Amino acid sequence: MVGMERIEQRQKILTARQMGLVACSRCQQVWEKDVSICGRCGHKLVSRDPQSLQRVWAYWLIGLMCYIPANIYPMLQTRTLFYTQQDTIVGGAIELIEYESYAVALVILFASVVIPISKFLAIAFLAISVQRPPSVSHHQRQMLYEVVEYIGRWSMIDIFVVAILSSLVQLKVLVSIYPGPASLFFALSVIFTMISAQAFDSRLIWDEAHGKDEGKAND
Amino acid sequence: MTDVPPVTIEPKGRSWLSGLSVVWVIPVLALAMALSVAWQSYNDRGPLITIEFQDGSGIAPKETELRFRDVKVGLVEELHFGDGLRSVLARVRIDKSMAQYVDSAASFWVVRPELSPSGVSGLDTVLSGVFIEGSWDSEIGPPATSFKGLNTAPLYRSGEDGLQFALRSIPGGVLSANTPILYRGVEIGRVGPARISPEGNFAIAEAVIYEPYGRLVTPATRFWDTSGFSVSLGPNGAEIDFTSIATLLAGGITFDTFVSGTEPIGDGSVFEVYPSELEARNSVFNSSEVAILELRVVFEDNISGLALDAPVELNGLQVGTVQHLSGLVDRETYGDSRVRLNVVLGIQPSRLGLQGEIKPEDALAFLQERVQSGLRARLASGNLLTGGLKVELVVVEDVEPAELEIVEGATPIMPTTESQVTDTAATVEGVFSRINSLPIEELLRSAIGFMESAQNIVNSEAIREAPEDLRGLLSDIRGVVTSQSVKDIPVTMNAALGRLDAILAQIEEEQAVARVLAAIDATTAAAANVGGVVDGVPALVDRLVEVAAKAQILPLEELTDQVTEILRSADAVISAPAMQQLPASLAGALDELNRTLAELREGGAVTNVNATLESTRAAADAVAISTAELPELVERITEVFDQASATIAGYNKGEVISRDAQAALQDISEASRAISALARLLERNPSALIRGR
Repeated sequence: MVGMERIEQRQKILTARQMGLVACSRCQQVWEKDVSICGRCGHKLVSRDPQSLQRVWAYWLIGLMCYIPANIYPMLQTRTLFYTQQDTIVGGAIELIEYESYAVALVILFASVVIPISKFLAIAFLAISVQRPPSVSHHQRQMLYEVVEYIGRWSMIDIFVVAILSSLVQLKVLVSIYPGPASLFFALSVIFTMISAQAFDSRLIWDEAHGKDEGKAND
Repeated sequence: MTDVPPVTIEPKGRSWLSGLSVVWVIPVLALAMALSVAWQSYNDRGPLITIEFQDGSGIAPKETELRFRDVKVGLVEELHFGDGLRSVLARVRIDKSMAQYVDSAASFWVVRPELSPSGVSGLDTVLSGVFIEGSWDSEIGPPATSFKGLNTAPLYRSGEDGLQFALRSIPGGVLSANTPILYRGVEIGRVGPARISPEGNFAIAEAVIYEPYGRLVTPATRFWDTSGFSVSLGPNGAEIDFTSIATLLAGGITFDTFVSGTEPIGDGSVFEVYPSELEARNSVFNSSEVAILELRVVFEDNISGLALDAPVELNGLQVGTVQHLSGLVDRETYGDSRVRLNVVLGIQPSRLGLQGEIKPEDALAFLQERVQSGLRARLASGNLLTGGLKVELVVVEDVEPAELEIVEGATPIMPTTESQVTDTAATVEGVFSRINSLPIEELLRSAIGFMESAQNIVNSEAIREAPEDLRGLLSDIRGVVTSQSVKDIPVTMNAALGRLDAILAQIEEEQAVARVLAAIDATTAAAANVGGVVDGVPALVDRLVEVAAKAQILPLEELTDQVTEILRSADAVISAPAMQQLPASLAGALDELNRTLAELREGGAVTNVNATLESTRAAADAVAISTAELPELVERITEVFDQASATIAGYNKGEVISRDAQAALQDISEASRAISALARLLERNPSALIRGR
């Protein structure tokens, strides 16, 4: 980061678009901006995806919609001989805290609550920052984007736990664990946020900055 | 470079719709779905009802389910206390599909695990927790949102087919509640919780018989209690009888229809439960459907022994029972303060024998009429052993006229007559005292003494040996009779007689006859001489006659009797067991006898006898020699006869004497004839001397 800041400070960043070039998003071959199809891999060449933000927002919205039932409905159904217990994500974590399993509770809270919510926030921030001049530098946003994309898959850790538990703990009458309806919604939510993050055309981060610069310049 | 922005931005800004990505369809679709689901779930949400329970045992919000026929149709949402903390209110969200059926007729109760003698129920609730069971029918009634929960599961759930009726105990009887109704050992119904009637005289409980068994119940059906067990001692040993373990522990009710041909009943009937099958059976014929007529009787004498349920009899037929007993002091009516016995009789009108539909009023009218013609109540002994009394309604002749006192609003009073209690008791007492005074013990003592003596005699050695002795005697006799010497007797006798003949012939030769004639002549002369001496002869003859008469008077018959008795005794002896063995002994005796005889022959016994006979012959010879002196003797006799003839000559005067003499002579000749007969007999059968015949 320090290096990046230094670079930014050191010299002005020139985008490919400003140079009249377009890179193939699949095979990274750089072409002239008039070329519409990549001559190497046949991929359609677009300098900037005009609908990127729309898709980001659309998937983001679906992810958020899925996240609500994921937290309302129970994640795990534990059926023992004597009772049937249904735990939501937060409820389970709170219960763990009551049992003084703070570490596990923290992991669950982190993976199931903190990360998804921060993902939503991060994506939203990135999408907004493309259209509005942010107070955060390009380099920071780029890094944020990379972190979000990287960390997104780890949210599936909850789903893993549920899947493993419910396939292992099937002792018929004695104890059985079933995935609750929330697990499906949680998985969907994670999937849609990942798609949303992928739909984001990170090149826009740099554009916007230029646009601002241009705007300033124009002004 | 500068123309780039217009190219890319302008279309975007111009029409936002054209730039809209297709991907928006997805969130819109998701939103629509979410909304529709939310709407649907809201729409499907049924109404919230409130059920009031006495306590909230086991009911947990969000967990306890409401079930209908064991299928979840609702969930308890919250639980709170009712007004004044008197109850617990459970708010239950019902499925919308069910909501319309949960009308005001619905009932709810909490299902808990239950362990009873007839089984375990609600066991699943041990693990899963309790649930609320609801019951309603398939008809949609007026809706309601507030219900009162039942404490126990209802007997009859709406929607179930079954015959609903009520069972009540007979007055004074018991009713086992919450028990199965068994028919031929099969549970086909149940009795619900019982409650006591407001008057407290019977218990009543709802009962249900599940279909298709409802048709088994008719108006003639009788129910009885099979609770507990009965023990009986009979010729086959002791028996313990009970229907099943369940009924042994918790009781049970069964029924039967003793009369056929009646129609099944509808819901809502009331039946009585009898304590035993016998009473139930009896009750069929003693229809208790007609109300009981109550009569009051006041007895002057206050006699113990009359108890509740004592029979009331009319002409020996029980027509009712004693229902109430109390002392009565009524100074106003009777003018003194004596305690009287106030008895309330319950008369069964149908048993009076009246025709047609009988009401208590009819029976009362009938009794009133009978009272006018002399019907009275009296106490009588019902049971001699226990001294129990009964009330008899009897017609008493020539009694003071009386009326059945009928006062409005009070029990009619029946007139009484003298009771018949003391007489019987006294008589029985007399009989018993007489029996008591009989000298039974003395009698028994004498009898025992007699028996002992008899036993001693019978057991005595002498009696036992008597047959043996007799046997010995007989064998001795037989021995003598069959002995050779006895057989020789006739021969010897013949010889003796031959000699006698010779002697007689000799006597004849000696002209004894002539001499006798001479002697007779002399006798005649002598008799003539005797003349006056003969006066003494008639007296002599008289004496002879007397002697003969005496001989005749001799107690021959007694003798015969005695002999007969002896013979009878002998018979008895002979028939005695010892005598049975006689033939064998006899054979032995004969053998011995033979042996003896052989010995005798060898020992020269016969020789001795012969020697004896020889001596006899010598004696006879001596006689023959002495007969040689007979002529002298004859001469002397002749002299005697001469004198005698003289005597007889004088004797000729009286015919009487001669007749007597003739009789004497006849006697003598008879005697001689008898002697000759004896001689002949002896000649033929010498052993007759010994045997007596």
